[in-house]
Amino acid sequence: MATGKGTLAGKVAIVTGGGTGLGKSMSLLMGGEGCDIVVAARRVNAIEQTAREVRDLGCRALAIPTDVTDTRAVNNLVERTIREMGGLDILVNNAGIVRGQERRPLWEITDEDWRLGIDTNLSGAFYCSRAAMKRFVDQGHGKIINVASGNGMRGARGDFMYGTAKAGLINLTRVMAITFAPYNIQVNCIAPGFVDVRQLQPDPVTREVFRTAQYIPVGRFGVPEDIGHLGLFLASDASDYITGGLFPNDGGGLAGGVAPTGYAPVIEMEEN
Amino acid sequence: MICEDFRLSGKVALVAGDSKYWSKYAGAALAEAGADVALAARNEKRLAEAAEEVRGKGQKALTVPTDTTDAAQVEKAVGQVVSELGRIDILVNASDLVFARPFLDVSEAQWRRVLDVNLMSAFHYCQSVGRRMIEQKKGRIINLLSCLAERGVENFSAYCASLGAVLQLTRALDIEWARHGITVNAIGAGWMSEEKSTGGEQEEQLLKYLPLKRYGHPSEVGPLLVYLASDATDFFTGQILYVDGAATCHL
Repeated sequence: MATGKGTLAGKVAIVTGGGTGLGKSMSLLMGGEGCDIVVAARRVNAIEQTAREVRDLGCRALAIPTDVTDTRAVNNLVERTIREMGGLDILVNNAGIVRGQERRPLWEITDEDWRLGIDTNLSGAFYCSRAAMKRFVDQGHGKIINVASGNGMRGARGDFMYGTAKAGLINLTRVMAITFAPYNIQVNCIAPGFVDVRQLQPDPVTREVFRTAQYIPVGRFGVPEDIGHLGLFLASDASDYITGGLFPNDGGGLAGGVAPTGYAPVIEMEEN
Repeated sequence: MICEDFRLSGKVALVAGDSKYWSKYAGAALAEAGADVALAARNEKRLAEAAEEVRGKGQKALTVPTDTTDAAQVEKAVGQVVSELGRIDILVNASDLVFARPFLDVSEAQWRRVLDVNLMSAFHYCQSVGRRMIEQKKGRIINLLSCLAERGVENFSAYCASLGAVLQLTRALDIEWARHGITVNAIGAGWMSEEKSTGGEQEEQLLKYLPLKRYGHPSEVGPLLVYLASDATDFFTGQILYVDGAATCHL
């Protein structure tokens, strides 16, 4: 495999939710390896900014405003990508929202709340994958990278829609991986841990817990590049034999989680 | 109160290995469900206590002082149980040597000791009892482990490694012995204590972290143990189930 810049030269990727955060980081890191990027999200300003920065790296970039919960918009996104960029090799399903996920009592969550959470965090990835997969099958290669969450592996208090949708996304990954493995299509899933989400924490106590990062073994929050580099790896040839995988990238938290970080008793062994 | 379908009447269980709680609480639970219970471990005081519990439930108890890390002693103990109680239907591997210190301070002798007690003991009993279960075309093996079989906690390296090994033994034997009518499962106990609190800042920190804000009581493992030992679980094998107050499920 080639090393250094350009390992993705000639490839085309769609990154949903590419305007900010993890999606932006993945767009720029993949662009840095020569990949042409289609940045898709609802916020036009943000995706245009990402596209500009990708172009600054010397790659082609398109910003296509897209609501991933809208099948027609998603189909249009894939068609335009293929028409204007000349192909599609990599799909990063990164769009998702925590908005509307404020911890409310279960009985106050409306059908609409529920559908919005599931649609954005799960159905959107399905619609995008469905739109891209035929192309991947016909051309005999393709890579899908789903961005789920540690919340999809474990329960967080009151995290009804987001956590449930992300758990669904994790298994959608496996189902697609198994189904399309014979076509040389790799489908993998990243489960980020806490990537600088302090501003999303609703109450001061929780914010303080998050500020100190005390439950994260490495002692800091993730930054978008932590996740972006994993996305880059999974987008590259280096991962051609890896499919159906779940890759937590969380500062070590999920390996523990039965005691607070810092809980470290010393217990001498008892001899009978 | 035990469902009729989960009763263990007429069965013989062997609870093997030293641990702070399991001889007593596993023994009591199995006896309450109607099993006669043999208890093999080194600590004779605990064996006597556990036997008392079993007899208190109206079942036969047999104590066999055994160094469970020694294959010959294990074979002899198993032979004695079979000759005195007739058979072994249920094997509960209950060795639980708890040990925690910073990894770089763990001596080779300590590491080996933890593996000897927690892993080798299960190895010896699975071989000795499993051979007989294959002959009788039926058996239940339940390995009593903890959340640390799958999760890390600081200072528990040797303990985690030993329990993780037994968990993988559980899965491997499931595959190897399922066709012989032997089910092999594990129980992952959460943080357990007979007391509400034993004091200390570390403990306070831990209890605050746990979803139920309390220790589990070792008796709370009994009902699952009985279920897994019962005839209702012929199709249930190769799994680890947690009795942990949601410790492993929360983010």
